[in-house]
Amino acid sequence: MIKIIMLILSLVYVSHIFALEPLAEEELQQILGQGGVYLSGDITINETGGPLNDVSDVSNPPIWQQNCSVTSTNKRCGARIAVNAGDGENSGWLVLDNIRGRFSFEGMTLKTRVIDTGFGGDGALFDSDVLEIGLPNTISYSNVSFTLANSSKARPTDVGFNQTDILNVKIDGDVTLRGNLLLFPTGNP
Amino acid sequence: MNIKKLILCLLGTLLPFSVFSLERLSDSTLSRVQGQSGLTIEQSQLLNIGNLSYTDDGNSLNVQGLRISSQTDINASSSQKYVMDITTDGALSVQTTINPTQMHIDGIRINNSSGSFGDLTLNFESITNFTIRGMSTGGLEGSFTTGISNADMIWQTNGHAMSFNNIAFNASVNNFTFEYDAIDNTKGFIRTGLALGMDNFDFSFSTGALSLGGVSLGELSGDLALSANAQVFGGGRNGVEGLTLHSQVNILSDPENYVKFTDEGNSLLMGDFSGFLNLTNLTLDVESDHLAIGFDQMDGAFNAGKILIGDSSRPIGSIELDFEFTDYIDAGNNANNRYNRLQLYPGIREPDFNAMPTQIKTYAENFYSGLLPTSEGLSMATQWNLANAEASYIDDGRRVVFSGIESYGSADTTIDVRDQKIAIGMTDLKGSYSIDGLRVGSKTAPLQGGAELLLSLGVYQAMDFDIDGFTEITAGGVSGGGIRIDGDYFFSNTNIGLSIDEYEEGIWATGVEYDIHLRDITFDVESDGLEVNRGEQWSTMDIANLRWGDKTSGRSLGRIKLERFEQNSLLAISPGGAGQVCVGASATSEAACGSGGGRWENRGNQGMTVALVAKFADESKGVGDSAGARNRFTWENNRNESSLGEYDNDSGTQIIFDNYSTNDGLGTSDDNTYGLKANLNIDVYETKVLKKSTGVDENGVVGSLGEELIYDDVARDSYTYVASPNASQKALRPLGFAVQGNVSFKELNIDAVQLKHPNIPTPQTVFYGVVMQNLNLTTNLTATPIQ
Repeated sequence: MIKIIMLILSLVYVSHIFALEPLAEEELQQILGQGGVYLSGDITINETGGPLNDVSDVSNPPIWQQNCSVTSTNKRCGARIAVNAGDGENSGWLVLDNIRGRFSFEGMTLKTRVIDTGFGGDGALFDSDVLEIGLPNTISYSNVSFTLANSSKARPTDVGFNQTDILNVKIDGDVTLRGNLLLFPTGNP
Repeated sequence: MNIKKLILCLLGTLLPFSVFSLERLSDSTLSRVQGQSGLTIEQSQLLNIGNLSYTDDGNSLNVQGLRISSQTDINASSSQKYVMDITTDGALSVQTTINPTQMHIDGIRINNSSGSFGDLTLNFESITNFTIRGMSTGGLEGSFTTGISNADMIWQTNGHAMSFNNIAFNASVNNFTFEYDAIDNTKGFIRTGLALGMDNFDFSFSTGALSLGGVSLGELSGDLALSANAQVFGGGRNGVEGLTLHSQVNILSDPENYVKFTDEGNSLLMGDFSGFLNLTNLTLDVESDHLAIGFDQMDGAFNAGKILIGDSSRPIGSIELDFEFTDYIDAGNNANNRYNRLQLYPGIREPDFNAMPTQIKTYAENFYSGLLPTSEGLSMATQWNLANAEASYIDDGRRVVFSGIESYGSADTTIDVRDQKIAIGMTDLKGSYSIDGLRVGSKTAPLQGGAELLLSLGVYQAMDFDIDGFTEITAGGVSGGGIRIDGDYFFSNTNIGLSIDEYEEGIWATGVEYDIHLRDITFDVESDGLEVNRGEQWSTMDIANLRWGDKTSGRSLGRIKLERFEQNSLLAISPGGAGQVCVGASATSEAACGSGGGRWENRGNQGMTVALVAKFADESKGVGDSAGARNRFTWENNRNESSLGEYDNDSGTQIIFDNYSTNDGLGTSDDNTYGLKANLNIDVYETKVLKKSTGVDENGVVGSLGEELIYDDVARDSYTYVASPNASQKALRPLGFAVQGNVSFKELNIDAVQLKHPNIPTPQTVFYGVVMQNLNLTTNLTATPIQ
């Protein structure tokens, strides 16, 4: 019962506060109506290769068995994604190959909250919950690289495999990302 | 029959008649026995009682075929010896030696029930000492020790047995009291009852094996000390007769006490206990077809300072649990009343199969096939209402509290022993649970969000459920002892809170139907942890609406359907977290980490490591029950609205990720020994939380962009923002879960990505395959709950 009383009182209280005037974006960033999670850390892809590169695993095909140190430039040491957007067996594959690198960040937040004010009056009209992804101010890229390619087959081990690299990308440095990403359902479910 | 009559009956049954046939000694005879050691009685006993009844308001609990005999020959007498003496302080001292004896009960029934609870056998031998004396205030007091050895306890239903073999039990009570002066007025009138007290009830136990059909599940042992008071009154919850009990139990704090389960020499251990338990109005009544047990309130605390999984040198931390089960009466609507009750029925009460969802009905019928109304077993109807619980996990002194845990519900359950199996059937398990949020640092810290962090362990923040499930437990894991489980379960009318607040607003999966099938799931304790091998499992989680906001009226993202099919997947839980970690750089020393731009963290020795191997199977691998099972993800929206806020499934547009599976790198025809591996090292650790904008925050605290949130003291209820915290300030950083994770696979293959329009019968393919290979993704993440 105490929860119900608190909820009713808080709704009455909140409706008076938020009805005063639209909030600036800076103030909106501070609204923490509900709980959530603050995430920090790093994500590293294939720093020392992947499981197919393990030379001690005799089940791995020879083409994948490579010595993948942190500084290795061997193109088989990265992760690989091949997508067939054609008509199956008779078409080629679009490939993101040799994916490696580290992304580190401080302060990505994840929470749900109600938007019922602000946004130039649109908030009151919206009056619904959103999933808010609070972007970290900075994401650091360290040795992030990948290759965009076309391939005749999905796997390097497939018979008739032939791949043409289109471009290589390597990124080091910081990217500034500020603000929030709001996710919410819309349209007919 | 009231409690006094029951006790007198039992005493009359158990004590030898020769005790009461003594004749008065003459003065001359008495003068010759002075200074001798007392009275010794040796007795042989073969006891056969056809029916022993306890009657309550006209209903009888019947113990049938009670026999006390020799262990080696059930037609021969067992032997006992009693040595009695009067001690110098006037106490009666009795030492009882019971040579190997068997006590057997053919069956226990309620009135003339066709089914019984099964037959029970207890083999044992024991030596017991007790002294008893009168108290100046009336009543009796004394002390007690007993040692039971070479004991077996066997429960048998329909010719199949579960047994605890080679039991040893030792217990002592420093001082017990027995008085008739307890007063109770909980029923609206005053009644007097027995007051029982035990000071330092210290006991230890061990079992050589817990066996099913001669195969061991493992061994149990423990050591615990309690002090307890109880008040017993005549009259139960219903009618005039019955039994009521209040009790207050303290678990005496002792680092040496423990409970241990051992499998092939490797143990799960929980120890260093402390806590208490209070019971109010525990009642016992015999009804027309069941034994009714209930309580008004049970509250307590349970703390375990030491938890070991396999590796005896590495504790995973400690836990503390505060809980309160209490009845809830809604004066305005009886339908909302919630109770704590247990009804025990003899025999197997089969559920109404026709009332079951079709997805589980056939499995239920097969589960109960072969059982009759006369079959032996145990049936239960259960209700519970957990008003509140707070569960703390403490890792290297850092505490996280899962706060505001509430749950209520009811269930019908049957238990019987079959051919080397324990069969547990559960139907209409209906109820709800929720977790308000987290408190970090202390039990009194402010309530925060973050309970969604449990999602990584497969635990949802809240759930309304209606479950029918059938489980068979077999002895024997992958090697030697251990436990194997086969089961079929169906969740209907289920709502799952994925990320919600204490007002139950957030992201909900609603209208969920969840169909789960498990085969050959084995649990083994290994030298380095607990290992769960999942032989085969397939499931379908069909979410009618993924809603934002309220679970009934929130906006819906549409329908989500997740089908899973795994073979030979594995889950291992082992002690110890990440230890020393470099976050943001690649280094193995603090100096190298700092120079590389990273942050060095020593997360301590405690913590937990969860290693998951998910082997997603290609749809061609299913046979028998699992034929046609596959891994598939479907998202559907733009459906027809059948009623306000409700939508018809399969009437909209779908995107389908069909038949995804793992393999060892050569395609779906290759082996699948590697699977998808996810290793998580989990610790509770201080986290660097930065202010994301300059100005005043929601709690009125001023700070600048990039400054760190630092608590003012260990109470962690106020904070400031600090530009460059020193070492002592860093120890007051917010606590959170620090997870060092690694996800890897050799190949993850998706057969097709498809789109389906409602006007066409089969989906149209967008991508004729997605092949992902050679991924090794490592994360060092700290997740801190925030307000």
